[in-house]
Amino acid sequence: MILETDSLARWLAPLARAPEDIADVFVEERRETAVLYRDGEVAGVSVLLDAGLSARCGRGVEQRLVYVSQADEAGAREAVRALRAASASEPLPIRAARTTSPAETALDSVPGLARARRRLETLLARHMPRHRLRWTVTETVRQVVTAGGDAVTAARRLVSVEGAFTAESRRGDETRAFALHTPDTELNSDVVRAAFEEAAAPREKSMPCAAGETGIVFAGGCASVFFHEILSHPGEADAVSPLASLADARVAVPELTVRDEPARLDLFGGYEADDEGTRPRAVRLLDAGRLGGRLTDRAHRGRSASTGHGRRSGPSDPPLPRGSNLVVAAGNATDEEMARRLQSGLWIEQLSGGSIELSSGRFRLSFPRARRVRRGRLADEIGPGTIAGDILSALKQVEGGLGRDVRACLSLGWCSRGGQVVPVGGEAPAVLVRRLMARPDA
Amino acid sequence: MKREELIELLARRSGSSWELYEKRAHSRESRSTADGATVCERREEGWAARFWESGAGRFAAASSLERLAAAIRSAAALPGAPGPAPEWPEAASAPSPAPPEPGEPPREVFEALARELAAESRGEAVLSELTLRRGCVTERIANGKGGDAALASERLDGVALAVGRRGAAACEARLVFRAEGSLDVPALARRLADRATLPLSDRATPFPRGAWLLDPSVAAALLSALAPLFTADSLPPWVSRSRFASSLVTLVDDATADAAFDGEGVPSRRCVLVTDGRFRARLHDLASARRLGAKPTGHGARPSYRRPPAAAPRRLFFETAAGKAPLEILASVSRGLFAAAPTAPVRVDPAADRFCLEFTGVAIVGGRAQGPIAGARATGRISELLHRIAAVGTDRQFFPMPDPVGAPTVLVERCAFD
Repeated sequence: MILETDSLARWLAPLARAPEDIADVFVEERRETAVLYRDGEVAGVSVLLDAGLSARCGRGVEQRLVYVSQADEAGAREAVRALRAASASEPLPIRAARTTSPAETALDSVPGLARARRRLETLLARHMPRHRLRWTVTETVRQVVTAGGDAVTAARRLVSVEGAFTAESRRGDETRAFALHTPDTELNSDVVRAAFEEAAAPREKSMPCAAGETGIVFAGGCASVFFHEILSHPGEADAVSPLASLADARVAVPELTVRDEPARLDLFGGYEADDEGTRPRAVRLLDAGRLGGRLTDRAHRGRSASTGHGRRSGPSDPPLPRGSNLVVAAGNATDEEMARRLQSGLWIEQLSGGSIELSSGRFRLSFPRARRVRRGRLADEIGPGTIAGDILSALKQVEGGLGRDVRACLSLGWCSRGGQVVPVGGEAPAVLVRRLMARPDA
Repeated sequence: MKREELIELLARRSGSSWELYEKRAHSRESRSTADGATVCERREEGWAARFWESGAGRFAAASSLERLAAAIRSAAALPGAPGPAPEWPEAASAPSPAPPEPGEPPREVFEALARELAAESRGEAVLSELTLRRGCVTERIANGKGGDAALASERLDGVALAVGRRGAAACEARLVFRAEGSLDVPALARRLADRATLPLSDRATPFPRGAWLLDPSVAAALLSALAPLFTADSLPPWVSRSRFASSLVTLVDDATADAAFDGEGVPSRRCVLVTDGRFRARLHDLASARRLGAKPTGHGARPSYRRPPAAAPRRLFFETAAGKAPLEILASVSRGLFAAAPTAPVRVDPAADRFCLEFTGVAIVGGRAQGPIAGARATGRISELLHRIAAVGTDRQFFPMPDPVGAPTVLVERCAFD
């Protein structure tokens, strides 16, 4: 699939007349293998081999993109020719393209895939014998060639296990949702095994969550989802939020530092180069409590260069500035100290979704279960509920003492914005936030 | 590789137990903001195959025939799902003429909608982004039993985003629409203005209980959320077939005017799902029909070539022949809330018989509007909600969810709000 860089750059050159002009070709090949398991039996199998290519040109947000489902030289010619026709550049001559045959490697021959499937089946048999779960392995190879002749190729493999299973609890069987997203296909790390064990562990009967203001400890790495909503989305270069006019302002305690780290390939949202061919760099969204930099792509880079956050869900979409891996710096407190400091409130280790309305700064997070904290100790199980608040108040209400153990969030792995879905990840210590609104789900 | 060669490959592997799906789409899209526009042209080709080999079924999809052949080989190397192949339809149709190349979406709509929105909202709402997409699609579904159906369609759809501001308060509104005919800009502006400005009210819901009057868009969102009830293999225990809903409710799925066939090549037909409150039928694709020993109803939906088809409504709607005029329904409300727009996705748990719908709207007393309410939440049992439908209007409209769902103004009695 790798296309020859020099000729592509030559074709694109007339579309980038000024240094601020953007002209590039983006090629993607995607292999997605999915197996649906129902109670240990295979209930469905699918293999997707997709390839596509788009050429793009423009300046700032004024852009034109042409997509074809043909990831070869002929497709590149067709896309660039359409762009050159639309931008009144000299037409690209019509020549017979060299044809290349697509890779025909059987997916099961990809190293480790069959072994990973067997491991998953073992884990399921041991921890979740009654289930309806989909195991998906997504492999992508992406190539970006710019008009300047820069070319980057990057490959990535992601694994997701999602669905529901029947767990035995002290009050009988119950159906629980399960989701796990990891860049590790082996499914043999202690973290992954622990996720299966934890999900299947027996639980007490849950009580409905009380409606009202409460303090919350986000533990188990899920604080990264909280900060993804309230810092990463407002930090996207094209976002207009209550934080947009507060550059460098102190909005949280000095102990709090939050970064977006795309180069962390051990987390689900990592990548070696963004979808505009820029090598990414970490951005401090919050630096010791002060608002830091923004996540930029080439169209929204302002006076500085892109930070390497131009991301696409696929070749048919133009890139947007998006977050990747949200990483919160650790503090010194143990879990026991965090619970003691909370005294009374909710201890949440898993979030099942989140959203933010940027113009008002209001956010929502859904949790499938929680533990009540009473007199500084973990108490009864709480049923599903929703947390709501607004960005600035929530940032002010984060307490300084952060947990010392940093954990990756494995349960949420995909972020959707305007219909474009990209993988995201994160890791965080336990974080205590006061006075958030919680209410039970109906 | 040619199509015939791929069919030979499938026949060699599976005899007559195979299906080949082909899709070609061409669209032009413009995403406009006040700062400029991004224009995208997309030419998509997609192929998918379902095949049964050694008594087990598999699905493969790809963006070209060569890749599909490779995907079939890869899928065959994995353990398949044991079970018999569906009864493939044998209907054949003449190839549909390819629709003309889609033109650029109309560019002047952004300015027109921005102007109408500002007027409707008295300057409180601003159009921030408008995406318009004009596209055409041709599909062909063939199978090992000789079935060969062809489809062609064209459409214009879009998404509008607006921001309402009053003092320090702000609210975002997002509206997905599809033009069935020409684009009705004033109607779009009215709906967008309601969504962007009603939540700016500082009033909470004044009643904990009362009548609930649903705008067609809210009733359609609720109906769409309930749609899985009509495709589930087994009905939840709370569903009584003879008393599923109020006797005023008749629900139909009829996509015959949209397409002659579904995504599996089964001829489209009108299905009456609920008549006078009685649960009559469910919707089947080929797989569920085989599993449950029923006849397929032409509801194998295929939103993308990348995923296997699944049973789903294609044009689900309330029948409104015996409905009342919306103003008459409004006049009958002594105390309640009018839900103008949902403010969060509708949540429905059919197994637990629970629903939750957050909305913005207007309080009603004595059949008259009493002023906007920022937000309210209606929660309760689905079974009670369906039985408490006290009136159905005549003003049915269709909304893309993503397939069209049609609903009129609906009145529900004795609802709980918080």
